[in-house]
Amino acid sequence: MKSKKGPALQKKKRKNTEENRWGYIFILVPLLVFAIFTLYPIMDAFIISFKEFKPLKTEWVGFENYKNTLKNSLFYKSLANTVVYTGITVPLSLALSFLISILIVPLTKRKQNFFKGAYYLPAIASGVALSFVWKWIYDPLPSGLLNRLVALFGVDNQNWLGSSKTAMFSLILMALLSSHGASIIIYIAALLGIDNTYYESADMDGATFFQKLRYIVMPLIKPTTVFLLVTSVIGSFQVFQNAFLMTGGGPDNATTMVGLLIFNKAFKYFEYGEASAQALILTAIIGIFTFIQFKLTGDNVEY
Amino acid sequence: MMQLKKVFTLLIVTVLAVGSLAGCKKDDGAKGADTNTVTKDNSKEDSSDTGEEELKEDTISVLLPPVTPTYQDNFDKWSKEFHELYPNLTLQIEPTSWEDVTQKLDVQVQAGSPPDIAFVGADSIFKYIDTGLLVDISNTATSEMLADFDENILNYYKKGDGLYGMPAYAEVHGIGGNKEMLEAAGIDWKMVQKEGWTYEEFREAIKAGTVKEGDTVKTYGFVFACSGVTAADYLNIFVRNAGMPDVFNENLKYAYTSKNFLKLLEALRALIDDGSMPKELSSVDAGKRWNMFLTGQTMITGKGLSVFERSAKENNDKIDAGDGSAVEGSIKTEYIILPVPTFFGNPISAAGAVDGYVCFRGKEEPEPQHLKNVAKAMYFLAGGEVSAVTCNDLYISPVCETGRQAMADVEIPEDKNEFNTETAALLVSKISEARPDITPELGAKAQKISDEVIVPKFQALLADEITPQEMYDAVKAAAIDAFGEDGIAVD
Repeated sequence: MKSKKGPALQKKKRKNTEENRWGYIFILVPLLVFAIFTLYPIMDAFIISFKEFKPLKTEWVGFENYKNTLKNSLFYKSLANTVVYTGITVPLSLALSFLISILIVPLTKRKQNFFKGAYYLPAIASGVALSFVWKWIYDPLPSGLLNRLVALFGVDNQNWLGSSKTAMFSLILMALLSSHGASIIIYIAALLGIDNTYYESADMDGATFFQKLRYIVMPLIKPTTVFLLVTSVIGSFQVFQNAFLMTGGGPDNATTMVGLLIFNKAFKYFEYGEASAQALILTAIIGIFTFIQFKLTGDNVEY
Repeated sequence: MMQLKKVFTLLIVTVLAVGSLAGCKKDDGAKGADTNTVTKDNSKEDSSDTGEEELKEDTISVLLPPVTPTYQDNFDKWSKEFHELYPNLTLQIEPTSWEDVTQKLDVQVQAGSPPDIAFVGADSIFKYIDTGLLVDISNTATSEMLADFDENILNYYKKGDGLYGMPAYAEVHGIGGNKEMLEAAGIDWKMVQKEGWTYEEFREAIKAGTVKEGDTVKTYGFVFACSGVTAADYLNIFVRNAGMPDVFNENLKYAYTSKNFLKLLEALRALIDDGSMPKELSSVDAGKRWNMFLTGQTMITGKGLSVFERSAKENNDKIDAGDGSAVEGSIKTEYIILPVPTFFGNPISAAGAVDGYVCFRGKEEPEPQHLKNVAKAMYFLAGGEVSAVTCNDLYISPVCETGRQAMADVEIPEDKNEFNTETAALLVSKISEARPDITPELGAKAQKISDEVIVPKFQALLADEITPQEMYDAVKAAAIDAFGEDGIAVD
């Protein structure tokens, strides 16, 4: 015996299926773009990492590329450089972004927009153009801008990009002063999303500015901080442009990052197999770091 | 209405989906001769071709950087002239910048779809040979074509048994000085141009050319661009005059393990320690050192090219005309070509930068006739009028007979310094012998040592972070690793 609800259920199911179909059609473009430009290259890189890739005579070499990578001292040096760069730039950059956001939020809408635009400007400027400006700032001769500035404080002339003592610091300073536009905008959005009643209630309880920061702002923007931390660490591990344009990885590989090493392997020496192996090892390392970050910081975060 | 919305949505999705695939088209057109035939015109064909063969239409793709300031302005004219010479052939030239050319070419090579012709230096072809896509032109170019070039210069494109390119020019990479400052420092530059100088003489000369105001150096005796990979130029140019004209000796042993290499490193470090070169040398890039030359902050600069005489003159003209585009703070300078000093009693061996045209194939086996057509296009670009115009722009002489003949019809720049012209010719005659015996495998290994060990260590040496001995030991260890104990020079 057929249920009375049978036809209605079937109709609903059919409607759902039809809607699902339209859903799939709507996401077809991003799905296609993801499949072609992300998924396929990753799978291809995985296969190439087991080969000695040549346009005409590719050979299967098994784990040789991974073995070579793990035996290469420059790989470890570049990994250490990347960890140092990430370990300094990400926390400092987030702290700076947060501080600037806190200063911007109380301003009028018009002023907020001005500062958001001003801080976001480097993000839309060409990296090459920026590197020219920074090279000018880091001019090694006494007439250089930064050298003139430090000379005011009695510091000797510095070979900013040419000495391994200062080259990494120079790249970090460059990153710190020109790359928090996006973080500031996201932090401001999060800060504006905090309900005013929390502050009013805290005011009534006589809370100080720092107490409000500690007990209201920080916990409520924790999801934003975790998001920025994770994406910044991922981005920082893949850093390439600044080292490539400013120092080329020198002097004596003091600023060679893993991204630059992979680039050189692939495009300078045409060793795509080993470059793919290095890229996949880097992916695994980033994955582990991200997992640890979520474990340490994301347990009590609701998205 | 709902139906219309769905159709409209479907249409947009389809357009976007197809759009995302745009550019993925496989273009085989340039790699094989088209099947369309044109009217026969055997009189235009090369003598080596059979008069009976069908003249198929063919397009030859070329990727070219701005070899000279006016080079890319001539592309339309040259394409037209080539088509008039060979009516069935079309030259499709893609201009690109110096910044992009290598990366663009490398990506195309790795994708298996490079242009038919590219502009590549003779010392950079090892990695392309290794891909299997660089074509040996010894069988596609005619003997008449190849006989046109100066043999030693053409041989720079010979690696092992193959010939992989036709030279556009041979330029000596050396050093150059400010005439007024050289004379003020008591340097007889005319004699140096003729007879060369030793390291000791050079060292004293740049000491004399260094001018101080109190504790601040106003003018350095010598500044060479050493930032990034340009550090390799400094070493490569000077090492030739220290008894190592090539990275492999005549017995194909890696040469930079010789004790002379260590002594050279000590000598170069001493120039900085003397105060004749800035201690920040490792950060001075090509633009900076030229700026320093034009603004009187250095007496001698490197790497120097013949065309710098022209660049200095152009800046002088701007200063005279009160043109605001003259280099800020620059003074009028006359550029004097100088030979690189010799070390430890060794003879001059000039660093020849031989650049030219190479032929690539794609993943598909190319048709023999297409390769012959490409050889014609290469010769058109490397020889005759194109060679004359290119070399004239660079203030150098062509390296092929037809180019030298065509120079008669080219307007020579006014006020060219005759002493520089003579010195440039003399130095070209001192360009070290080509080394076709160095196989692509050996060359690629040596290049890797240069990139991974020599350049980084040399930068550290210039920055006074390691000693010459430490750099020498690192190079030796890398060489033993790459070539074995038996593969390195021992003295």
